[in-house]
Amino acid sequence: MYEIRFHGRGGQGGRMAAEAYALAAFLEGKYAVSFPFFGAERRGAPVRAFTRVDDKKIRIKTQIYEPDYVVVLDETLIETEDVLEGLKEDGMVIINTPKKPEEVQLSKPVKCATVDATSIALEILGRPITNTAILGAIAKATGKVSIDSIEKAIIEKFGARLGKEAGEKNAKAARVAYEKTLVGVSQGGKEFVPRKRWLPTVEEMPIGGAIGTLQTEAGLVGIGSFIENKTGDWRTFIPVVDKEKCIGCRLCWFYCPEGCISMVEDKATVDYDYCKGCGICANECPVNAIEMKREVRE
Amino acid sequence: MIQKLPAKKMVITGDYAAAYGALLCDVDVVAAYPITPQTLIVEEFSTFVNDGITDAEFIMVESEHSAMSACIAAQAAGARTFTATSSQGLALMHEMLFVASGLRLPIVMPVVNRTVAAPIGIWCEHNDSMPQRDAGWIQMACEDNQEVLDMIIMAYKIGEHKDVLLPVMPCLDAFILSHTVEPVEAPSSDEVADFIGEYKPHAVLDPDKPMAIGTFTPPEYIQELRYQTHEAMKKAKEVIKNVTKDFASKFGRDYYGLVEEYRCDDAEVVLITVGTVTGTAREVVDKLRQEGKKVGLVKSRFYRPFPAEEVKKIAENVEAIGVYDRAISYGSGGPLFIETRNALYGMDVPVINFLAGLGGRDVVTGDVEKMYEILLENKGKKPAKEIYWIGTRGVSI
Ligand code: SF4
Ligand code: SF4
Repeated sequence: MYEIRFHGRGGQGGRMAAEAYALAAFLEGKYAVSFPFFGAERRGAPVRAFTRVDDKKIRIKTQIYEPDYVVVLDETLIETEDVLEGLKEDGMVIINTPKKPEEVQLSKPVKCATVDATSIALEILGRPITNTAILGAIAKATGKVSIDSIEKAIIEKFGARLGKEAGEKNAKAARVAYEKTLVGVSQGGKEFVPRKRWLPTVEEMPIGGAIGTLQTEAGLVGIGSFIENKTGDWRTFIPVVDKEKCIGCRLCWFYCPEGCISMVEDKATVDYDYCKGCGICANECPVNAIEMKREVRE
Repeated sequence: MIQKLPAKKMVITGDYAAAYGALLCDVDVVAAYPITPQTLIVEEFSTFVNDGITDAEFIMVESEHSAMSACIAAQAAGARTFTATSSQGLALMHEMLFVASGLRLPIVMPVVNRTVAAPIGIWCEHNDSMPQRDAGWIQMACEDNQEVLDMIIMAYKIGEHKDVLLPVMPCLDAFILSHTVEPVEAPSSDEVADFIGEYKPHAVLDPDKPMAIGTFTPPEYIQELRYQTHEAMKKAKEVIKNVTKDFASKFGRDYYGLVEEYRCDDAEVVLITVGTVTGTAREVVDKLRQEGKKVGLVKSRFYRPFPAEEVKKIAENVEAIGVYDRAISYGSGGPLFIETRNALYGMDVPVINFLAGLGGRDVVTGDVEKMYEILLENKGKKPAKEIYWIGTRGVSI
């Protein structure tokens, strides 16, 4: 049996990728299981999905803690958490990034495959949805499943949902990614501040989970929400407000799901610490005063 | 706030006793939806509001689900709340019952036990409240209208206790109590205020001090909250004992903690009863005692928390235990029977279940005598049969 852990963000289709991979393995006569773990089901939130493949029926039902492969659909995730956690000694990580494997810095040097799935998706699909392109990269990097089966699985799974043409386009994205995937070894030495978590005992837990703003060793918290847990690093696109054009109608303020727009002197102002880049504000603005730009990060 | 009400003796229905109990407890908010046979409770209380006896906020809602939702919101804002329901109304509330207990809001809600359809009926059965067993509510059963009034008062004191903070459901049998008048002694409003004290919420929704309750909570936290609620329910036993004791010393009526033993001292067999059948069974026990039969009665006042220790202690000294149920968990047995046998695990005293009065059929003295007869026959034996359907046509005993 081998196990794959997918790291993505809500809305990027990590779960679909994990399922399509399982289907591809199944088409080759394997037994395969795939399942997601959702946190808060918010677009942009870090999410994980898991796939197990074996020659016989898989009975274990736990999440995967010691994967053979780790797949990262969103490069920004390697900045905030150690995606290598639990990776097997000779395991491999497959990352969506324009960088070469040797340019990627992780917590330790490991076998690493890279592919610029975002650019491939933008070019072929016209949208930065990378979950099919990354499958091609997995096929190339692991050699565990053929690109033909990956294509078949994508056409079956995505074609059923999005139509034949879209299915084929997605299969093409996988094929192109397969060809462009580079395999090498990453750099190590990246340090992570372990994520702060507030895990109260029964005694410490406020009765009935009723929480004001509580100061804990992990910062200010409410159950399930960390005030200090900034959601700004979820973005791929960033909203930029043209204050000249803005007529102060507050529609963006009303619709923003993160509540991170405030009106300053009657003009929309975005709190980029929390803006997750969903683009709803830009969509709602009646005078097109908000533009979503691809975010460049250092 | 309520007007000062003197202590008085009244001849009233069980429903009136429930409404008057809530009035005496000076509840701030009442949200309810009428359903037979609970309607009188809501009507009586709305009359108190109309007559200016209380300035409680009375909220008319469009369903029981909304009634419970409104009470939850009001209680979370720090108010003492009250509602009442029955049968399908309680079923419709089911979802919100978990919210009330999960947020640890000590709402008090009498349930007038009425059969749950189908087929539709308005008479007494316990298949409305008993299936709410796991919703985190304290459940108590009343024997007469005096107990209804007293239990409402004690319900607030028990539920609001800092070690408990759980909603409470006093249950009263449809028509047999709800629409039956009998003399009831009501204490004065001052005495009640003094007895239950002020409600001190554990958390209050206040715009000036923002707080989140009942928010999306990941698996890392929920299990600890479940444990807290379980512990609170267990701690409620001690609180119930203390509150009934205080009540007895203040008002002179003794309810003996979680169960009352009637003529159990040298009893060879005992019958555990719930609700109004208890009163009838007392008569039967007296008669059988006169005939020299060593029989006793155990009135089960609390279904949650379940008085397992008390039942065990009683079981140590008897040769057979009967459990009367007015509800059936299909394919298993009566809910109280299942609970009792669970408590008696490892003891070899025979436990027999008697089902009678389902759908509101009258349970008469002859039925109860039959139960004792079967118990006496099975003394110390392994019973041939565990569940007896008393007075069911075509089903042999
Ligand atoms: S500011 Fe715009 S892009 Fe950012 S979270 Fe709000 S709606 Fe989404
Ligand atoms: S929706 Fe557009 S015009 Fe309206 S406040 Fe927002 S940015 Fe300004």
